[in-house]
This record gives sequence, structure tokens and C-alpha cells, in this order.
Amino acid sequence: MSSDVKAPTWKEAFLEPLIANNPVMIQVLGICSTLAVTSSMKTAFVMGISVTAVTALSNAAVSYTRNYIPGSVRIIAQMTIIASLVILVDQILRAFAYDLSKQLSVYVGLIITNCIVMGRTEGFALKYPPLPSFMDGLGNGLGYMIVLCIIATIREVFGSGSWFGLTILQTVNNGGWYVPCGLLVMPPCGFFLVGLLIWAVKTYRKELIEPAEYDTHREDY
Amino acid sequence: MLKLNKDSVLGTFTIIIGFCLVCSVLVSSAVVALDPFKAAAIANDRQVSILRVSGFETQGTVAQTYADHIQAQLLDTESGSILADRQAEADGYNFASLAKNPEFSIAIPAEEDQAGIRTRTKLMPIYFAHDENGTVTRVILPFYGAALWSTAYGYVAVAPDGNTIKAVTFYSHGETPGLGGEIDNPRWQALWVDKQIENAAGELAFTIKKNAAKEGEAAAFEVDALSGATLTTNGIRNAAQYWLGTVYKPFLDQLRKGEILK
Repeated sequence: MSSDVKAPTWKEAFLEPLIANNPVMIQVLGICSTLAVTSSMKTAFVMGISVTAVTALSNAAVSYTRNYIPGSVRIIAQMTIIASLVILVDQILRAFAYDLSKQLSVYVGLIITNCIVMGRTEGFALKYPPLPSFMDGLGNGLGYMIVLCIIATIREVFGSGSWFGLTILQTVNNGGWYVPCGLLVMPPCGFFLVGLLIWAVKTYRKELIEPAEYDTHREDY
Repeated sequence: MLKLNKDSVLGTFTIIIGFCLVCSVLVSSAVVALDPFKAAAIANDRQVSILRVSGFETQGTVAQTYADHIQAQLLDTESGSILADRQAEADGYNFASLAKNPEFSIAIPAEEDQAGIRTRTKLMPIYFAHDENGTVTRVILPFYGAALWSTAYGYVAVAPDGNTIKAVTFYSHGETPGLGGEIDNPRWQALWVDKQIENAAGELAFTIKKNAAKEGEAAAFEVDALSGATLTTNGIRNAAQYWLGTVYKPFLDQLRKGEILK
């Protein structure tokens, strides 16, 4: 216990990852699933909730046991916890939201490999007590979910003319006027949108731009 | 309490084994506890899909409507005859996973494998939709095949004449939403309604193609392909042609002659 560095309060741990240290926009983690599940709002929302539950609970569990986890195999111990939680989430979705779990297919299982989860247990929960760790997991999960929902909103409204499955723009296929943008429902478009989002956030909040690691104007390079 | 150095070899093994035990108990008990819910969700999903093509509105619960209007039978695809003595196994007969088991499946020769599925079960569950008086109104046949990204699974409902398609639905596929995923669009599925499977000469004529005939003789057999989803619709066409033209042909021939429904 005494080895703990001074822990951030649970409030700081929760609020920071929402925007200022957002796992997707600032740390650029978890991009794979961000591209894969954001073509519709429903899947993005459920994925966001699942990742939030897994990060928060795995952070709490790792933090509770951090003084017992042997340093040499700590990654394996964390993986065991994370994998168990992901299987739990997957099973719960299959039992109670069968339709959505079909749409999310492999991506729920792939939460195990989502860098955000592992990144938070390794980078935060191993050092700090359970409460701030839990809040940090919650904050990171929600930060991920915010980005997912923003991207899914753009992709679903303009790509399929609906939001949460509700018709917003009547598409030509359904007898309306809107010709959906096919590119928006393809994964590469998720990539473009993540890039634009990072640009927008860093333009609006200049303090989030990281200093360059080298001076591009030096002449002796 | 026993003082155990967590970083010693013994400590490492003890702690990790403890971790794994706790986690595996947690996971396996959750899997077992949730099993009935999962089975119910899968059964409900199948019943909803079958009712969607049955032509009957759901009244009350899905399970009740299903029990009132749907009767499952097991079909021997080679002879086209119904195995009435094995009717109990028919509902939810898991042809998708049994197709991988050589005991129940047959390998499809490559030149015949239009649907791209390699193996299929000898027996298939088929569903008779009947009204209150027991008169069969539609026969619902499961079919599947390789589309663009995924295997698409669906049901096609055929009228009692054995030749007229009345409805189609897909209950599992992984096509791109908005493009190939438009096979779920009710407006496109409506194009299948009243299409004929075979022409007067008894040859398979049903197809899905670009610029399908809107009038004339061919209009009765052709469904317009989805724009922007050529490969998906090709896959669906191949699957439909394979199942309706090859696998179910012995059965449908008997249905056409009126030998099944008397």
C-alpha cells in the first residue's frame, strides 16, 4: 500500500479521460473496434456500454489484487481478469440482447484485445487504489463511448438515413428522396471521421496538442 | 496467515493458479446459468423469422402464434419425402452445425456447389404454415449460401403449388450495412413475392439479375439485383438457385404434383 504514488481523486480519474485525455482522440487507442462497430448507433451504443463495463470492472479487480499480482506475470493475470469479464459480457448479451449480439458478432469477444482495457489496468489500476481505478475505467469507457456515438451518429444518419434505427432522412431505397452516402457505411470512412474529430478537438482546445518530439526547423538534421 | 513471497517461483504459480480457478468458476457458472436464456433467445429468434415469412401476424406471444400456425417436419432431401416418425426432432434441427459433422452431412461436389457451402445435412427442417382449419398456406424452406463477406442464412416461403415464392427473409448475415445489408430491406424482399421457381418446361428459371425484366414472360422469374451490392446479390441468387433448384427439387416436384398436401 505504501508504494502507492499519490492517487488522483476519483473525480479527476473520472473526468480526465472524457475529453482531455480521451482514449480514442488523444491516446488513439481502440481504433479497430471504433471503425468496425460505428456504422449504426445501436451497435456503437451497446459496444460502448460493454467496453465501459469491462474497463471499469477489470480496473477495480486488478486494483484490488494489485499487491498480490506477481510482477513477472502481471500481464497474464490482468488478461485472465479481462478475458473472464469479456466472456461474461458476451454471454449476457447473447442471453438478453440476442439480436444485437448477432450484429456485434466477433467484436464483443475482441474487447479482450482492445488496447484501452489493457492500457488502463497496466497504466493505472496497478498503481492506484480501487475507487479511483474504477472511476478511471468508467471515465475511459465513457470517453470511448462518446467518440463511438459521435461517429456512429454521422455514419448512420448520412450513410443509412436513420438514427438508432429510426428514420431521419427517407432514403431512395425506401421510397424517399435521400441518396445515402455509401462510403460512410464502409470502415475506411470511420477512419476519416476519427481523424477529423481529433483535428476538431485539438483545434478547439490547443492545450491538448502534444509538443513535437523533435524540432522540425533545426538545420543540422 | 502463511507468508508467501509473491515474486518467488512458488508464489507466482500459486497466485496465478488461484486467479485462474476463481475466473474459471466465475465464467463457467455464468455460462451454465445463462444457458436457458440463450436457448430461449435463439428459439425466439428462429420463430420470429419463420413467422415473418409465414404470412401470419403475431397475435399475443410469438411462441403462441408459432404453435398455432407452424408445424415443423424433417425432410429427407434426397428422396424429397417427409420423415413423419422423426417429427419431434424437426423444430430447430441444427442443420448449420450438423453440416460440419460427416455423420449427418454430405459433401457437395465442387461443380455442384453453387452456394459455396461445401457440405450440407441430408435432412433439413421445413415448416408448414397452416391456418385455423389446418389448411397449409405456405411451406417455409431454410436456405443459405456464401454471400460477399459472410454466409447468409434465410427462409423462403413457397405457396402450396410448389412453384410460387411468397416471401423471403434473412436471419443471419454479415454483409455491409447500407450496401449488401440491404438484403434485409423489406422493399427489396417484396420483389421476390409471386416469382416463379420453374418455368413451364420444368427448368429452374428463378434468378436475381441487374435490370430484371419488368414485364413479359421473364418478369415472373426475375428479381432486380441490389445496386451497389452485386457480389452479395450474386451470392444470394446462387444460394436460392441451389436450394430451390437442386436440394429441394425432389420435394418441390412432389408438392407440385399434389403428392405432399392431400
